[in-house]
Amino acid sequence: MELNILIAGVGGQGNLFASSILAEYLLKKGYKVFAVETIGAAQRGGSVVSHLRISDADIYSPLIPAGKVNILMGFETIEMLRNFELLAGDGMYLLNDYKEPTVLCNMEMDTYPTDGEIRAALKKSGKKGYTIKATECARQIGGSLLTNVVMVGALCQVSPLFDGREVQQVLAGKSPAKVREQNLKAFDAGGLLIQEAMRKA
Amino acid sequence: MTEQEYLMGNEAMGRGAIEAGAKVVAGYPGTPASEVLEYISKYPDVHAEWCINEKVALEICMGASLCHTRSLAVMKHNGTNVALDFLMHLNYTGVRGGLVLISGDDPGGISSQNEEDSRIITRLDAHLPVFDPWCPQEAKDMVKAAFELSEETELCFVMRPVARVCHGRSMVRMEDIKEAKEPHFEDDRSRFIMSAVKEVKAGGILRPVVRHRWLNEKQSVLAKIMEDSPFNHIEDGEGKTGLVACGIGYAFVKEAEKILGKKFPVLKLGTLPLPKNKVLQFARKMDRLVVYEDSEAVVEGILKQLFYDEGVKVEVVGRSGFLPSEGELSATIVLKSLATLYPELEKKVPKTAPLGMKVPIRTRTQCVGCQYRGLLHALKLTAHKYKGVVTGDIGCYDAGSFPPLELQSTIYCMGSSIPMASGIAHSGYGRPVFAIIGDSTFFHNGVLGLLNAIHSGVDMVAIVCDNRTTAMTGFQPHPGSEVDVHGEPVLAIDVARLATAAGATSAQVVNPYDIPQVKEALEKAVKEKGVSVIVATMPCYLVARRTGKLGFTPRKVVLDLDRCNGCKICVTYFGCPAIHFSEGKAAIDYGTCVECGMCVEVCKRGAITWS
Repeated sequence: MELNILIAGVGGQGNLFASSILAEYLLKKGYKVFAVETIGAAQRGGSVVSHLRISDADIYSPLIPAGKVNILMGFETIEMLRNFELLAGDGMYLLNDYKEPTVLCNMEMDTYPTDGEIRAALKKSGKKGYTIKATECARQIGGSLLTNVVMVGALCQVSPLFDGREVQQVLAGKSPAKVREQNLKAFDAGGLLIQEAMRKA
Repeated sequence: MTEQEYLMGNEAMGRGAIEAGAKVVAGYPGTPASEVLEYISKYPDVHAEWCINEKVALEICMGASLCHTRSLAVMKHNGTNVALDFLMHLNYTGVRGGLVLISGDDPGGISSQNEEDSRIITRLDAHLPVFDPWCPQEAKDMVKAAFELSEETELCFVMRPVARVCHGRSMVRMEDIKEAKEPHFEDDRSRFIMSAVKEVKAGGILRPVVRHRWLNEKQSVLAKIMEDSPFNHIEDGEGKTGLVACGIGYAFVKEAEKILGKKFPVLKLGTLPLPKNKVLQFARKMDRLVVYEDSEAVVEGILKQLFYDEGVKVEVVGRSGFLPSEGELSATIVLKSLATLYPELEKKVPKTAPLGMKVPIRTRTQCVGCQYRGLLHALKLTAHKYKGVVTGDIGCYDAGSFPPLELQSTIYCMGSSIPMASGIAHSGYGRPVFAIIGDSTFFHNGVLGLLNAIHSGVDMVAIVCDNRTTAMTGFQPHPGSEVDVHGEPVLAIDVARLATAAGATSAQVVNPYDIPQVKEALEKAVKEKGVSVIVATMPCYLVARRTGKLGFTPRKVVLDLDRCNGCKICVTYFGCPAIHFSEGKAAIDYGTCVECGMCVEVCKRGAITWS
């Protein structure tokens, strides 16, 4: 058994927290986990990528080799597209329909792809995947900072490796008291969003 | 204790130092190594200190080592350059208490200005032993071994983890903490006075030669240690092409074996000097060796020399041409290289298909609400007005050099902004020069450039971005901070008073959120003779948001589209991510806006106003 999850987003989206929740759950389940993230200069509004590798055998490379990503979680649209090539042939994506324009896009010196272009490219890729409005949902619950938890809630519904209730317990344990309730709510909301997306698909 | 913890490589190395009984830990923050010291600072009986720069950190560690106390110096590769002068003496004197230097490398330059390989200066230049770990557990084991061996050999040991090892997270075994020795001190001037004096005991030979000989003689001791080291081993496999897997290279080689379903002969290396006999034993059975290492062809070169000396006929290829000579190593690079050697394996290399879509590049910028955006705005206006040149430095504000601002004309290494500005002024170019430097960077090395500039009588403006923290690397304190790494109050050094004492023409303190005030200060400074210093003081917005002590009163701004003429000053001279352009007019993203209100001052048409 081997599962490789790549989380692509921008600085401040709580990429690392999402990865650490999943890692803690998986370690409890007895899996081997090896993770790495790009941090440092990337954190000031730049791209942030977390690699999470799970196996019942030894894992050597902290980075997921190109073409070996089983689940690509996009916390931001173009950050997911940027890493799309790393997906395995039978890999799936889980996209948060949220766009954070780049500085050059803001200036109208570069163009952020349109919804139509994105849909067409994803369709052409032949990869299976789901798109949910996680940030919009997070804002309704209490703020865009909950996006990561909504996405983790959604992931638990698409991968049989995760037991949603148990992951939620880990989340409760790792959440500071003042945001615990909101986190748990966001987690459930993520599950509902993805179920709806799966029904529509 | 046999429990395991899920730790980052940096934390694992910190824990290794704790278990080894290190009592003095000093460093300067820098990605990828910062978390080592942060982890250690949680142990109250260890002196952990963020220092003014890496040279000072290493000197502190040597002081502790003189008293037989184990000490750890932590820095990134650029910092090891700064510490190199001291290191090139420390290698001759040797140490007493175990001394380990962690020099975190950043192949690919993901968070750095270069992708230097610190094995070159620490091993090939300073002739010190170097450990190159492949994973967090090995990194921890190596730190512990390094402390023991450092005391045994009296040599400083170097750890050279690459960023992926520093930042990698996995389960790490926790072990008992070793009792530290009681500190004591005794003089040994023939060792610790590095001076060109004639050594009576050595027949009148000059001391630097005597100590150099001592270091050279240590190499045979090291050779024996590395021969038996658990960090090097041979794995049998098919074929006559041997894979030499150095440091993180081992992770990628093993990954490639797993993907290809083939076992190659592998020589796993984690030490410098190399285990000579093990290497020869491996090489003599091979026709060809492929050396996988980050990021220069260091081991490749050492092997070629060894095989020449020993008359071993084996082809050695690696990063000198067969593999890419720049950038970070990866499993993909290993896979592709193996597929060129074994074409039948090509079909097993995971396939990737490009998305076939242009994805916009994302450059780093100041955070929304960052006070430096106001400062950069005022500086860009002033610099353009006087057709001046702006030299830059290392820190968050360096994002002013990227689009849309494109303000700073140079960025090199810590502290180079002020001397480079001085040089531009001395060249006779004749336009005003401005240097912009952060507070941590100012103390690190910039202060020397400032003193030199003042003393040389150059005309220039030096702007110090004083946010009271090392924001770029994760808010570590520096000599201008009011608290230390534990959050305990310490004496903060005042940049403006320092500049005044040194003889700066003026040292104006401004609020960077107050754009008119900054502009006025720049106008005054640019007209002055000598070195004019402007200190833009305000705690980092991200810290202020956490502590609730914002440098502005949040208030909603509104946009009057009829007044917006699409001049784009709000993007090209300001560049707040909460403002974008749509159909030729500005628009505010209220989900992103933090209501700092600086844009009200930026818009010359009065299109942005307080609500």
